[in-house]
Amino acid sequence: MIRGGKSYVSSPPAFSNDAKRLLVCTGNTVSVFSTSTGLQMGSLEGHVALVTSVIVVPAPSPAGRILCYCWTASLDGTIRYWDFSTPELMKTVDVRLPIFSMVIPSLLSQQNESSEKASDVFAYISVENIRAQETQPKALRGQVRKCNLTKSSLAGGVTLKETKKPEYITISSSGEFFGILDKQKLHIWKVPEIESERVVLKRIDLHHTKKFTVFAFHPTQRIVAAGDVTGRILIWRGFGKRTFSMGDGQANGRSINFDEDKPGVRGNDDADNCSTWHWHPHEVNCLVFSSDGAYIYSGGREGVLVVWQIDTGKKKFLPRIGSPLLYFVDSPDPSLASISCADNQIHLLKMPAMEMLKSISGIKLPFSPPEAVSSLCSGCIFDQKAGVVALHTENYGIQFYSLFDDHAISEVQVCERNHQPGNEITVVVTQLALSVDGSFMSTVEVRLPEEDIGGLVCLKFWTSDSQDKHFRLLTVIYEPHRDSDISAVAFRPTQLMAVTSSFGGDFKTWVCGNEIQKGEVQNTGWTCYAVGSYKKRPMTAATFSADGSVLAVAAETVITLWDPDRNILVAIIGDAFTPIKTLSFLGQSGYIVSASRGSRPQLSVWSLSKLSKLWSYSLQIEAVTCLGDPSTFAVLALLPKLATESQGMALGGRDGAILAFDVNKPDPMAVWSVRKAEGGALAFLQGSPSRENFTQGKTSRGLLAFVNGDHEYVLFDPYSDEATEHGVAHRKGLVSEETEKYGYSSVYGELQEFNHERNQTAEIIIAPSEKPWATLFSGSSQTLPPLTKLCSAFLESLLEKRTAVVE
Amino acid sequence: MGSPNIRDLLTAFSPSSEFFAISSGDGRIKIWDTLKGQIQTEFVDIAANDLTDAFMKLDKGHLSVDYTCMKWLDLGKKRKRKHGGSLIVLGTGGGDVLALDVASGELRWRISDCHPGGVTAISFSEKGSRVYTGGADGMICEIDPVTGNSLKRFKTSTKAISSISVSSDGSVLASASAQVKIYSCSDQKKIQKFSGHPGAVRSMIFTNDGKYALSCAAGERYIAVWRVDGSKTHSASCTLSMEHPAVYLDSRCFDNGEEDLKGLYVLALTETGVCYFWFGQNIEELRNSIPAKVSLSIEDSVLKNHHGAPTILAAKLQGIPSRASGHIFMSHGLLVKPLFQKILVHSGKNMNLNSSLDGILLPTGQSLVRAKRGQDVRNKVTALDRANAEDALHPVPTFTDLGETKKPHQYSGIDPDDVIADIVNSRSQAKSLGSEQMRDDDAEVGTSTICLEDQLRSLGFIGQNDGSFDRSAPDPAFFKDINLEANLSNKKIRDAILSMGASDAYNLLRKLLSLWQSRSSNAKLVLPWISRILVIHSDYVLSQEPMTELLYSLGKTAKARGAAIQPLLQLVGRLQLVAAQIDKATHDQTRDSLHERQADESDDEDEDIDHVFYRDEDESGQTSNDTDDE
Repeated sequence: MIRGGKSYVSSPPAFSNDAKRLLVCTGNTVSVFSTSTGLQMGSLEGHVALVTSVIVVPAPSPAGRILCYCWTASLDGTIRYWDFSTPELMKTVDVRLPIFSMVIPSLLSQQNESSEKASDVFAYISVENIRAQETQPKALRGQVRKCNLTKSSLAGGVTLKETKKPEYITISSSGEFFGILDKQKLHIWKVPEIESERVVLKRIDLHHTKKFTVFAFHPTQRIVAAGDVTGRILIWRGFGKRTFSMGDGQANGRSINFDEDKPGVRGNDDADNCSTWHWHPHEVNCLVFSSDGAYIYSGGREGVLVVWQIDTGKKKFLPRIGSPLLYFVDSPDPSLASISCADNQIHLLKMPAMEMLKSISGIKLPFSPPEAVSSLCSGCIFDQKAGVVALHTENYGIQFYSLFDDHAISEVQVCERNHQPGNEITVVVTQLALSVDGSFMSTVEVRLPEEDIGGLVCLKFWTSDSQDKHFRLLTVIYEPHRDSDISAVAFRPTQLMAVTSSFGGDFKTWVCGNEIQKGEVQNTGWTCYAVGSYKKRPMTAATFSADGSVLAVAAETVITLWDPDRNILVAIIGDAFTPIKTLSFLGQSGYIVSASRGSRPQLSVWSLSKLSKLWSYSLQIEAVTCLGDPSTFAVLALLPKLATESQGMALGGRDGAILAFDVNKPDPMAVWSVRKAEGGALAFLQGSPSRENFTQGKTSRGLLAFVNGDHEYVLFDPYSDEATEHGVAHRKGLVSEETEKYGYSSVYGELQEFNHERNQTAEIIIAPSEKPWATLFSGSSQTLPPLTKLCSAFLESLLEKRTAVVE
Repeated sequence: MGSPNIRDLLTAFSPSSEFFAISSGDGRIKIWDTLKGQIQTEFVDIAANDLTDAFMKLDKGHLSVDYTCMKWLDLGKKRKRKHGGSLIVLGTGGGDVLALDVASGELRWRISDCHPGGVTAISFSEKGSRVYTGGADGMICEIDPVTGNSLKRFKTSTKAISSISVSSDGSVLASASAQVKIYSCSDQKKIQKFSGHPGAVRSMIFTNDGKYALSCAAGERYIAVWRVDGSKTHSASCTLSMEHPAVYLDSRCFDNGEEDLKGLYVLALTETGVCYFWFGQNIEELRNSIPAKVSLSIEDSVLKNHHGAPTILAAKLQGIPSRASGHIFMSHGLLVKPLFQKILVHSGKNMNLNSSLDGILLPTGQSLVRAKRGQDVRNKVTALDRANAEDALHPVPTFTDLGETKKPHQYSGIDPDDVIADIVNSRSQAKSLGSEQMRDDDAEVGTSTICLEDQLRSLGFIGQNDGSFDRSAPDPAFFKDINLEANLSNKKIRDAILSMGASDAYNLLRKLLSLWQSRSSNAKLVLPWISRILVIHSDYVLSQEPMTELLYSLGKTAKARGAAIQPLLQLVGRLQLVAAQIDKATHDQTRDSLHERQADESDDEDEDIDHVFYRDEDESGQTSNDTDDE
């Protein structure tokens, strides 16, 4: 089982004390990277949910720099203590509440009081109150709480602040102050000199008219800087002089109103003055003071790192980073810093020249295309032989990512234009197809019209050499289907032929012309070979059979089968309820699987020899793939919303399932439930990782790859028992849910099968259900089939049930 | 510099083939990412950066370090680290052994003066629990790869050790100078001794089952296979010969398991950068097997003499997908920019890889221009607008060429309907034949004589498929500056051809040949061009000959037509006789024309050929004419 494709930028990374390693939160693990080579050195494995904070224990003296201890906090409700030089778990603190952020002030101020070893270590954590979930939606779910790490317990009853959702805690580098943002307010607490469980913390609030996004403390002075959604940076100087210096309690300090001049400070906020800088056109995402306190680093959505000189406000820039900045982290080594970008890259910067030394780059994260074309966009595409996935990137490109090695291979820029992270997206790569040998690629890009002018669909064919995997452009076809959008692109497995289907009611096949020049074959370009249409209906999906002899094109609800060479319509099969979205042949066997979405989603298996439907399910299908065995296939299904809600906790946040089927049986062979299935993809990889080759003798039949909506992936052998960890447990539950929700179909099978002309009574599915009668007559009468049909089916279902009992 | 030589190169693939380390003797080690094809890290000055060793700092930079051997060791999964276990173990000429941690880019450990006189060989078992080094002092040192502690030392030879190897299970060790000795790892006892190599063994490995040892010595053009069984036999059980001495060996042996994979697979890389791959089901079969050779073909003759020409740098047997074939992962190209490729080699089938000129500094001159032109061809992008589907007719019978699809009406293919209509017309009113011919004349501008063959073709008597060549219509673009129909003087033809490039002329020659073969143009017009091209561009045509066999087909056509001269002459004689008789009888004026004809034929024999080939029709036509005349 291989996992990978984690996001490196879910939380800020942390440098080790000698700045030679970088600890990055990657999903459930923390990965340790070398800053000199950019390679992964190890990982801390133990958390069972997303790790949200990693804090390296600072070295008290230069000699202690080789100490490699860190604290991590995770959504699984635990705080763990590690030695990351030899990845080893030292301690676990169970808080039982999902931790979104954690700070440990005493670590930072430990230098002067290291002699007193007896004092407990306290952490301030931002948690989500799960108990507040069931109550009204306005409940305050975010809490800032205190935790005694030495005694492994939450400080009883101490809740510093409640917010709508858990907020990120920021701490000053001296460990004296920490604070959170709450919309337009800034709450700052002062850490008490002597920590104990029930000490009262003093708090000040700072106000602004816009929503804050990020803030930072000055390392030595009482200066706090905060960025807001409009791109302004506000700097308060001398905050909290009144409240924090007074010996008395909070309430007392509040009431006294000093009548002095406080320029820029709002209301009765406790600060000397406030100044504003405005350069960022979009919201500020990261804001950090340099370690000497002379500069502020800021960055935002426009992908430019700005360095401000605090005294003068002068700016220096590092432009063209190419992606929104998320975090800036300073290292103990003054010449090294890191920035995390939204495209899942961490750049190591040489300071103060701001020169990129190394980049740690992961799989490209999904992005949301504009509404207008989101329905057209296909998911990722696999090169099944090489174990490579091709993904759309936000900057109009395609990333090739090796699943076996968890490693990016190359990127292809589909559209020759610069991507400005802040700008609105005007071009979207909607479709992508790879030929079986991986040497040809086809892309479809849509230029969005501006005020209904200038929209353009463009089909491109690319080719690559076997030596270097770089694709070069071969043919550009502007508006291949007039004005209409393309719904699918597919390559023919055996020949140089491709098909595009469009919503404009036709499909076109394309061939590549070869020319022999100087003895070697050169591909000269792709041209249209044939055009076909069926009753002018929109064509919604297209695919070739594995041997290339049949072309299947879905004309909304029916599947049309064509001879691709002679362009003759061979046959038409069946009727789905809603337009078919996905078509796929099952290997060499004469079966085709169709999936449609919409109000009445459906997964159907059709037999090409009988030209009829074998069986079908009412399932929302995201992806279909054929397994190594020609008669088996796997689908990625989204669980119905209703079911996930009712079962909520039992499924543990899993919203989808991978179901493996045999064509001849509608009962799934295996079920694996998965998280974040929406936007996911599924493929059966024929190859195996190169290192597996060493252990010869054990020949694997291939691996099933599942890429979820966040582009995290897992590879597992669908035939082994290893992967069926969740599957077995949920198997029954899943199926019965299905039947409970779709009461009719559970009893009568698919209603549509009755409308079908052919006799397939033997193949009607009767999914067993506990109480089919409860939902039997709860539908509106016009959707019920006529009584004559209903009766026979009803009796039949009874018979089926009886036999099931006998078995 | 002559042929490439990779003898002095140190190369190592990481066990999972993800990375490739190369050191070319300047003390720098470059790590390439084989997936991306980019450089990942460069190790320079490792020794100088080592703060613990005070006196090493006195040395001046990396050039003072001279590495003699390099191996890539994966400490493996026992520590559950993905990359952390990757070490590069290096031996230096000064006798030090170094281990570099690839992931962190740091020196992991070093043993100074392990082998006085220089480290010559490093080896370890597949599990990677122990590293063995051999040195010029004849000692073998056992090292713990995790800590870098030297565990054991023992002497195996009085001479310098040139190569060592450990079997994959780590139980047996082979050490070689000229003589190969097998030791047990646990108690350092000598098990077996093989002699036969005259010089120092350069590379030696055990097969993965430990039953055979393969070795090759410097300057020897064969690999010796020794059977490791503890017996007293001292001779090699088989030898595999090559054209050059080998520098690297790899092998895979499947003894049990799947029946179809069973056998012994051997890979060798010679110092000239040629890969050899042998397969044998057993040792006897291996002995007689013919190796598959993989080499890099270098197109450019200039490059061949150029220093540091692209070659195969390293190779590794990655897997056995099916019987008698192997996946070889290799790095080839230039030292500055190696390319990585996984290729499938079948036993007994030679392969040629194409070299890429990426990263090379070309000598200026013609080759640069040629390379540039090649680049232009590669970067050609076709663009189609929204009228892309205009030519896409449902079943298009001859849909082969891009140029044609754009201009479908350029096909001179004769519409069957038209032909039928023509025939009907010609039958109904014979007089209209003349007008038909007039139309043909219009089509072929400037043709002075009406070729009978064309006439026949237009009436559908001559089939369309008698030409062996692709009967694509002449591409107008090709002839745009050459007016074939115009009866040019020889000098003008020569000038026109001289002005053409060699490849253009060659293409023209091809087109002309197909024209001649298909008789779509008059031989009288085509042949001068062909002969001129052959005279002027003979070199280029000859160089292309092996690929296209154009000359061969040209010769064949000429021969076929030439063979018909004799009967034609006879026919002419007979006709003359008849004509003379008619002449005598009628005192007509036809004699003049016949004499003219005869003169023509003797002038240009190829002209005759056209008539001869279809002489049946010709004759009948003539005779019918004659009878008409009579």
